[in-house]
Amino acid sequence: MLKISPQFVNAIVTAERLEELFPLLQNAIELEHATIPPYLTALFSFKPNTENAIRKVIHSIVIEEMLHMTIAANILNALGGKPDISNPNFVPDYPTHLPMGIGEGLIVGIEKYSPELVKKVFMEIEEPENPLDLKINLQAKALPTYRTIGEFYMALQQKIKEIAPEKLPGDPGRQVTSDFFDPNLLYPILTKDDAISAINIIIEQGEGTTTSPIDEEGEIAHYYRFQELYVGKELIKDPTAPHGYSFSGPEIPFDKNNVQPIFPNTKSNMLSEGSEGRRQVDIFNSTYSNLLNGLHRTFNGEPDYLDNTIGLMFDLRLTSQKLAEMPFPGKEGYTIGPSYEFVKVMTETVIV
Amino acid sequence: MSYLNVPRLTFSGDFISDVSTVNNDPQHYNNNTFKKSFQEFGTGSNNGWWNPEGGATFGFQDCYVQQITGEDGNSSSDPLLDSIIGQIVCGAEGRNSGKMVDLDPQQQMVSQLWGVTFRILTAKNELLLEGKIEPTGFRDLQMRQQTGARVNGQPLGGTWTSVLEDVVWGDLAAQSPFLMSLKSKTQENRLSINLNGFGYYYAHATDGRFSLGRILGSLGPWFSGKPKFFPPARRLYGILSNNNNVFFAASNFIFDKENARLSIDFGSSFPVSDSIGTIALNTELFLAVSKNAIKAAPNATPYMVSPDDTIFIGKIEYQNGTGWINSTSGIVDFNNLSDEVLSALKENQLLLLGASSKTGQFVVIAREAVDGIVLRADEFVQRLDTNQTNEINFYASQYGLPLSNHAIYITLEPPTPMTPKLQNTPPICDVPGNNYPADGLTFDAEITTDVNGVGVLKLTGNSIDSPRGYLDGQIYTLDYDLAGVNTDSASGSVMPQNFIAIHLRDYFEIPETPVWADIQPTMVQFANLYPIMSKFFIDFSDPNALIAKKELLIFAFDRDINDPIYMPVTRDLSETKRLTILKWLRNPIIEGEGVVLTQQKEKGEINLIQEDTLTETIPLTNNQLRLRDAVRAKNGADFNIPEITNLFEF
Repeated sequence: MLKISPQFVNAIVTAERLEELFPLLQNAIELEHATIPPYLTALFSFKPNTENAIRKVIHSIVIEEMLHMTIAANILNALGGKPDISNPNFVPDYPTHLPMGIGEGLIVGIEKYSPELVKKVFMEIEEPENPLDLKINLQAKALPTYRTIGEFYMALQQKIKEIAPEKLPGDPGRQVTSDFFDPNLLYPILTKDDAISAINIIIEQGEGTTTSPIDEEGEIAHYYRFQELYVGKELIKDPTAPHGYSFSGPEIPFDKNNVQPIFPNTKSNMLSEGSEGRRQVDIFNSTYSNLLNGLHRTFNGEPDYLDNTIGLMFDLRLTSQKLAEMPFPGKEGYTIGPSYEFVKVMTETVIV
Repeated sequence: MSYLNVPRLTFSGDFISDVSTVNNDPQHYNNNTFKKSFQEFGTGSNNGWWNPEGGATFGFQDCYVQQITGEDGNSSSDPLLDSIIGQIVCGAEGRNSGKMVDLDPQQQMVSQLWGVTFRILTAKNELLLEGKIEPTGFRDLQMRQQTGARVNGQPLGGTWTSVLEDVVWGDLAAQSPFLMSLKSKTQENRLSINLNGFGYYYAHATDGRFSLGRILGSLGPWFSGKPKFFPPARRLYGILSNNNNVFFAASNFIFDKENARLSIDFGSSFPVSDSIGTIALNTELFLAVSKNAIKAAPNATPYMVSPDDTIFIGKIEYQNGTGWINSTSGIVDFNNLSDEVLSALKENQLLLLGASSKTGQFVVIAREAVDGIVLRADEFVQRLDTNQTNEINFYASQYGLPLSNHAIYITLEPPTPMTPKLQNTPPICDVPGNNYPADGLTFDAEITTDVNGVGVLKLTGNSIDSPRGYLDGQIYTLDYDLAGVNTDSASGSVMPQNFIAIHLRDYFEIPETPVWADIQPTMVQFANLYPIMSKFFIDFSDPNALIAKKELLIFAFDRDINDPIYMPVTRDLSETKRLTILKWLRNPIIEGEGVVLTQQKEKGEINLIQEDTLTETIPLTNNQLRLRDAVRAKNGADFNIPEITNLFEF
């Protein structure tokens, strides 16, 4: 399970005013976002028109991470805060631990798809609580050495329940919805109950319920979807299995030759300036940064701006796949990876 | 008023244009003869040319404000005098930067910018100015590189002139006296913008500049009633040819008599020695007014004049290297003109002269239009649907003053014949001709200019049923001339100057309940022509793949045409075909015969055959030959351009 530093959960528990939750919700937005580049990189590391079954699984998860990021931003807006998306500090310097993570914990990087990556990183990110651990006493005096992301969200839920007014103070005009998401999953967060049920969506989609790998919408939680990929078989209903499900469904085939050999954790400065590869990575990074700029506007009072950002997401996808075909100069056998580095739209270069 | 007027700012840097090239070849549009190899990199119709996986992106890169010219005509590039100097010129925030697309594979010489946002920001990303460039095609295509196509593969440059619309002035604009002066001067909250592009890279060269080009830009006031897509300026045409190439082929200039000022834009024309825009000339250049009318056509033998034939204006203080041109964008102002020059310029031609080794003799590199007459159509690129009527404004002037009550003749170019398969290299399929059926367009053959020298043409697209078979709609070219004025033999260098390029889209009736067969030909063609989509996104020829992504596709096909992500990106699909695709996506039915389309196609085939028979014997006009050759040159099909090291040295 994703372990986070206990200070974040403690900060929620000890909060007395909604304002004190703002930085923690900002952390939540950053955490949800931080999983997206690694997932997308794996997704776009396949050669064109191959491994469609695996793509479908990763795609379904990454879309939900985008949903979670949007929900977290909506909650922050609903409480009266302001998401900060367009900021170099918003972007993890991969490979790194995830936001709020503890130093010696899980290290997440930008890598091509492999079953090992799924097992060692993606399933770790999404691993649910041990059912026994669910009996958390949030008022506990003795501080544990770590908390989990599930505990973090549950603490947040609890605190909102405790201190927020029924009608949340944020400007409803800042709430983001989209035709690309089911309105039962992405809706304006206007009341305390809206916020509480929205947090349930984040928890359940990621981890499932406490008794089943299936969430309340009947979908398999992220952890088990990744497990399907690692096991190589679909999770299906199985009355003989302990929780009613087992990995005894149809095979999910995988051929490692269908994966582009992208260099792990490519950085723009690994490519010499003025080279075509460097220019493409720079284009990728400026598109990515511009996307964050567009999302910043979206989450800061221009919710309709979301539609404008769709084209940039599409460009990121295309550039990522183009890069994956470009040989990496000086690194034989490798192609170039997307580096997901935040750049200002332009440099501060002064004219000649 | 235009980008050449003051107050004006210049900017320069790179542009990126990731155009796709499979669609540069008409034969590639035929679904029945399409082969996978057409999507692969390589020259010639059996391949996809130089950028088969292009995505049509257009944007500004590393562009900066370089210089301002105030209302007094004085220029400065000192950031201490005005904070606008050195600021960043860039595209849209949080959305795509824009697209660059051809009108059609059979009219590639007016490539248009769509959905391009222009912004000026501080180094801290604070907004100074933002506007949307009204879509326009390039014109004044001309030779720029003395080194020919070496290194980058494309020696020509072109000019986009347009207006910035819906201009937003950032809070910090108030700190720039220049911006405040520009804001107070301009009208209708629009600004005039000019982008001279050149040095564009087809080649995967070692400098990594593939798909980049250089841009020399300028921004100035715009006034109501003035043209949007060219400056209301006088024109200087090159008359010195070198291996059949004319440098300084077309330059705009304005003569402001009241302020005794002449401003000339060499940003579109100044020869450069390489693909990044280095000037390396060994000739002193001068501006002068000719005392005698000069009608000379471009010729390799220099046209010489002596000082007695001219009234001297001044030396052009250009500098070799990259500094001067990038700072000034090639615009030169001559202030405090003498009374003699002021008087002479009113009714005499301007000359660009080069010093020669012959004592007291100058080479005429470029001369003003004969009798100072300029006629230009503003909306010179037209995309028309059935029963759509557009207005085109023509502006006629002589020595910069309106030519009122003057007739303008508009003629449809004759139909061009179908090129039979075996005459194509390589032979893939028949390629249809253009300009038929003639009744596809309705317009007046003659219009008259008003007191402002403006004539308005109403152009209506009529119903046509696939006259080109596998290519949607038809390409028409209208030529225009002033009554009693011959086309200037020096006007139009690579392309004729005075034409209107029209894509009339096919008539198409939206089926009650469209089935896959109704949209299949369009979608298969799309999959063929844009491998970036079928390779990296979805296979457009597979209805199930489309259904799987239908939300996203409905989103893209339902955008406003000015939105950069509008589909199809080429903006060449009949509106009713686009609506049919949307209708199908909302209720996708795969089975069934596409009755409507089949009938329309059959009708179209008949048309095509009849017209082919009609047109087979008509030879191409001079303009049509030039268009054909220009398209070849643009595609990099037959470059044989020598390197020129001693340009203008006589």
